Amino acid sequence: MTILRFYQRPSSLSIAFSSRHERSFSGSSELVTLTTRRNQCWRFSPLKSSNGSPLAGASWKDDGKEMPVPKVPDIGSQLAENTVSITVVGASGDLAKKKIFPALFALYYEGYLPQHFTVFGYARSKLTDEELRHTISTTLTCRVDKRENCSDKMEQFLRRCFYHSGQYGSEVDFCELDNKLKEKEDGKLANRLFYLSIPPNIFVDVVRGASRSASSPNGWTRFIVEKPFGRDSESSSELTRCLKMYLIEEQIFRIDHYLGKELVENLSVLRFANLVFEPLWSRNYIRNVQLIFSEDFGTEGRGGYFDHYGIIRDIMQNHLLQILALFAMETPVSLDGEDIRNEKVKVLRSMRVLKLDDVVVGQYKGHTKGGKSFPAYTDDPTVPKGSLTPTFAAASLFIDNARWDGVPFLMKAGKALHRRGAEIRVQFRHVPGNLYKRKFGTDLDKATNELVIRVQPNEAIYLKINNKVPGLSMRLDSSNLNLLYSERYPREIPDAYERLLLDAIEGERRLFIRSDELDAAWAIFSPLLRELEEKKVVPELYPYGSRGPVGAHYLAAKYNVRWGDLSDSS
Amino acid sequence: MAVSFPKCPSSPLPPLQTRNRAWSSPPLQVGDSSKWALLEATKRCHLCVSATNGGSAVAPVEPSKKVQDSGTKTTPTDHSTKVENGIRPTVFSSNEFQDLKTGPDNSGRESTVSITVVGASGDLAKKKIFPALFALYYEGFLPKHFTIFGYARSKMTDSELREMVSRTLNCRIDQRENCDAKMEEFLKRCFYHSGQYDSEAHFIELDKKLKHHEGSRISNRLYYLSIPPNIFLDVVKCTSLAASSENGWTRVIVEKPFGRDAESSASLTRGLKQYLHEDQIFRIDHYLGKELVENLSVLRFSNLVFEPLWSRQYIRNVQIIFSEDFGTEGRGGYFDSYGIIRDIMQNHLLQIVALFAMETPTSLEAEDIRNEKVKVLRSMKTLEIDDVVIGQYKSHTRGGVVYPGYTDDKTVPNDSLTPTFAAAALFINNARWDGVPFLMKAGKALHTKRAEIRVQFRHVPGNLYKKCFGTDLDRATNELVIRVQPDEAIYLKINNKIPGLGMRLDRSNLNLHYAARYSKEIPCAYERLLLDAIEGERRLFIRSDELDAAWALFTPLLKDLEEKRIAPELYPYGSRGPVGAHYLAAKYNVRWGDLGAEH
Repeated sequence: MTILRFYQRPSSLSIAFSSRHERSFSGSSELVTLTTRRNQCWRFSPLKSSNGSPLAGASWKDDGKEMPVPKVPDIGSQLAENTVSITVVGASGDLAKKKIFPALFALYYEGYLPQHFTVFGYARSKLTDEELRHTISTTLTCRVDKRENCSDKMEQFLRRCFYHSGQYGSEVDFCELDNKLKEKEDGKLANRLFYLSIPPNIFVDVVRGASRSASSPNGWTRFIVEKPFGRDSESSSELTRCLKMYLIEEQIFRIDHYLGKELVENLSVLRFANLVFEPLWSRNYIRNVQLIFSEDFGTEGRGGYFDHYGIIRDIMQNHLLQILALFAMETPVSLDGEDIRNEKVKVLRSMRVLKLDDVVVGQYKGHTKGGKSFPAYTDDPTVPKGSLTPTFAAASLFIDNARWDGVPFLMKAGKALHRRGAEIRVQFRHVPGNLYKRKFGTDLDKATNELVIRVQPNEAIYLKINNKVPGLSMRLDSSNLNLLYSERYPREIPDAYERLLLDAIEGERRLFIRSDELDAAWAIFSPLLRELEEKKVVPELYPYGSRGPVGAHYLAAKYNVRWGDLSDSS
Repeated sequence: MAVSFPKCPSSPLPPLQTRNRAWSSPPLQVGDSSKWALLEATKRCHLCVSATNGGSAVAPVEPSKKVQDSGTKTTPTDHSTKVENGIRPTVFSSNEFQDLKTGPDNSGRESTVSITVVGASGDLAKKKIFPALFALYYEGFLPKHFTIFGYARSKMTDSELREMVSRTLNCRIDQRENCDAKMEEFLKRCFYHSGQYDSEAHFIELDKKLKHHEGSRISNRLYYLSIPPNIFLDVVKCTSLAASSENGWTRVIVEKPFGRDAESSASLTRGLKQYLHEDQIFRIDHYLGKELVENLSVLRFSNLVFEPLWSRQYIRNVQIIFSEDFGTEGRGGYFDSYGIIRDIMQNHLLQIVALFAMETPTSLEAEDIRNEKVKVLRSMKTLEIDDVVIGQYKSHTRGGVVYPGYTDDKTVPNDSLTPTFAAAALFINNARWDGVPFLMKAGKALHTKRAEIRVQFRHVPGNLYKKCFGTDLDRATNELVIRVQPDEAIYLKINNKIPGLGMRLDRSNLNLHYAARYSKEIPCAYERLLLDAIEGERRLFIRSDELDAAWALFTPLLKDLEEKRIAPELYPYGSRGPVGAHYLAAKYNVRWGDLGAEH
């Protein structure tokens, strides 16, 4: 509810207040409706606190009048049933097919979508509803652990999917869409979500068309936007300015799917729901933090988009920086989206602007291994021959605040490396006056504790501790206190897109990027990016499938850091 | 005090000074200087080293180094560089690579160790001591030349002893090679001598036999008293007067019970000290030799992530739990005169508390550690009867099987009030632990067999996720569990988000399961302790003042229990113990961690 403090809320616009923990007690998708002309909120689950009594937040003050939340959905006649219409703009694209439709189906399958919903595909290609359904159906899968009624569910879901063909810049076409939507919504209170799965150059066209011609007349209208959000500070703020011509801040949901990853979500739980971690979370105990992303494949013929952006824009400035902000933020006032985003912005604004000296860039070259040859980045036909676009980058960042002063935050991201993974590594300081120091050889820093949060694949959390090797001698080694998700939680971990779509539907903004966050993020990277391009800095070449350019080690060494993922016992 | 040490200055330096397990293990420091003998030992070392130095190839800096480490004021200047390097100069920094144990000593003579197990026909000797000695031999931890003697009253030949010993020996699961050959070689070094426990003449005979086996080597002798406490003093007297080593060290390992209360313990100590120097007494507490108890200090002091949490600021309570799933089973005679408090709590569990709660010692040297442990014990509040719950198991029929009550044991008096279960709340009144309850629980004939340490942390102040936890935040706190036995493990319970679209939290474990991580067999506590005694490492043995402090905590309570004839709460054989333990815990706002729905 703190949203209200930050943004002027036009009275015609609705905001759904719904936070994640309420969902936790639902289990079912029972719908409780509360609707007025002024404040349309709907949620899937009856509000319950953990002890079963209504939460304090179960009533809202609106214009000074308190409105009790009905406990059962037998609401008066002026309260219509509500529905949500999700329009995937760019429905024939890859992301839509691979991620968005399957995520929507998974939500439906798990009972997280409201009773009445409509899914629309929108794109330029001529398709019938049937053809769309066919395309979608080939990508749908059911949860491994709950196969029951899967084909029934699929069929039901597909019946709610429709297609509308139109130009992205045409308001007329969106008017037609609006008509179709209205027909499906059938007089219910309509909430509309547009997922822009389209190239950035047409973002604004679509937003204009959709917001002018296809906004919900009586419910909320939200837009999910995917990266890239510009190429630098200027283009990003230009994009934001344009979006804001048609939308207000609350309607914009900038997705960063890394924030929807299970272990990134868990990061705050680890920190704030465990006494044993928070006391350690500062420069007093943490020596450095490493954020590592690697892919074991290259652009593979799809380098056109990538070449224009490069790894820093594609991974670092958004995904890794967002994780960093979440990791380093102060304790928020509450788990409310705005409180968390306020803290993240503070971190970003306390960060030192990145300099060229603190960055290493690389580009993969061809490599032959075991008779098989792997292409270089510039071998990709969609990439210009002389491209200097980095496919690898390592950077050291600093947060100049009281908690983190002097602690290097090292980021590393690359394509075509020897393995695939994303992880957060927290290396602690050495034990002052270690009684056992003679057991450790000369470099005490090599025997420090390390907390590793492996985001993907094979989710895990482990803490490296020094332990006595069992036996009669006093030898120490580093063991792990382990939590392997696949062992502990047999259930499938939902895809990040499921969580983010559900959040957007529920109006939970915690995992989406606010405009000021985005500005702050660009401010850190823009000068560097400009310099790299102006000076035409040549990336260090590394073989496809290798551990990346050695320059990354020298960068780490400069700040007395050793990459945790490249040691023997990682 | 130095009754039995007149030989030292004239004798070569015994390997006591070189207890570094040179081939594998801890460069343990100059632990020889106990509080009492500090100065003396210093002199002794100085003299010894000077005496032997003339004829040896030891680097000339050695004596001054030893002297410096032993705490005297002589400051050699040639160590300043090492200090600057941050490497603490110790005796072993330079002789670490010398195999002093098996090789010839400084005067060129080989040394040997003779281990005499007094009470060789007893259960402990058969089940634990001989197998542990064999394991040490098997792993190559015993010196090249050694002799093992069994001593007891029964008439037996050497080969009868060998036969008896051989039945209990087994080889490490993970290294079966040459096992039979090794066994044979080992048994060839085992001998038996029959004699009365109080006869000096018999010990003189033993001495002769020992000398015969030792030959001209420097002889070090270790006596393991595996006998009832009432004959401790007799044996100690005889061994020290009649069978002490003439040119090496003589040490005596004593097993519990060390008295029944403060007075009897003090008088036992006084008795021992008539014949032995503090340095010669090795009071064994085999719990201190357990792998995970050993690891406790490593966890605390070599990991940055634990030490900041180790105080009243973060720790809400500590639980030390011991349970056995069987009763006295016809062997209650000894137990009945001691009871569970003396048998388990006052020694094993209290030692663990001391190790857990002590301040960081100056070094890993035995005296430094024991100094810190004594400080903890002396800061503890004397136990009062209100803070104790006692129980005794009664018979129970389950699935057609009848389990006997404690008083059904034929060796136990029918009206015995001896507790077979006890729970107690202890407090350490120092700056670090003020107000933190240390709960102990020990019992026989319970539903499970285990020993563990549980550290329950406070709840997260201002927890953002409190709505996810129900009403009692204390039930969702972090907990560190160190499972000493069986199935050694360390795990930290953390709150974690359950994967999925909701925000439900649960407690998961960050786990270190020893069996999964370390394939090697974990050595028995007796192996470690025997080896330590041979090497003169006193870290895991109980010093006299420690023992006094430990008794001081428990004696008033024990007296109270006996004088008031407090009847123990009965609990069924195989149950979770008397419910009184829960009320005791509740009094201090604690919940036993081992009896929750999830452990």
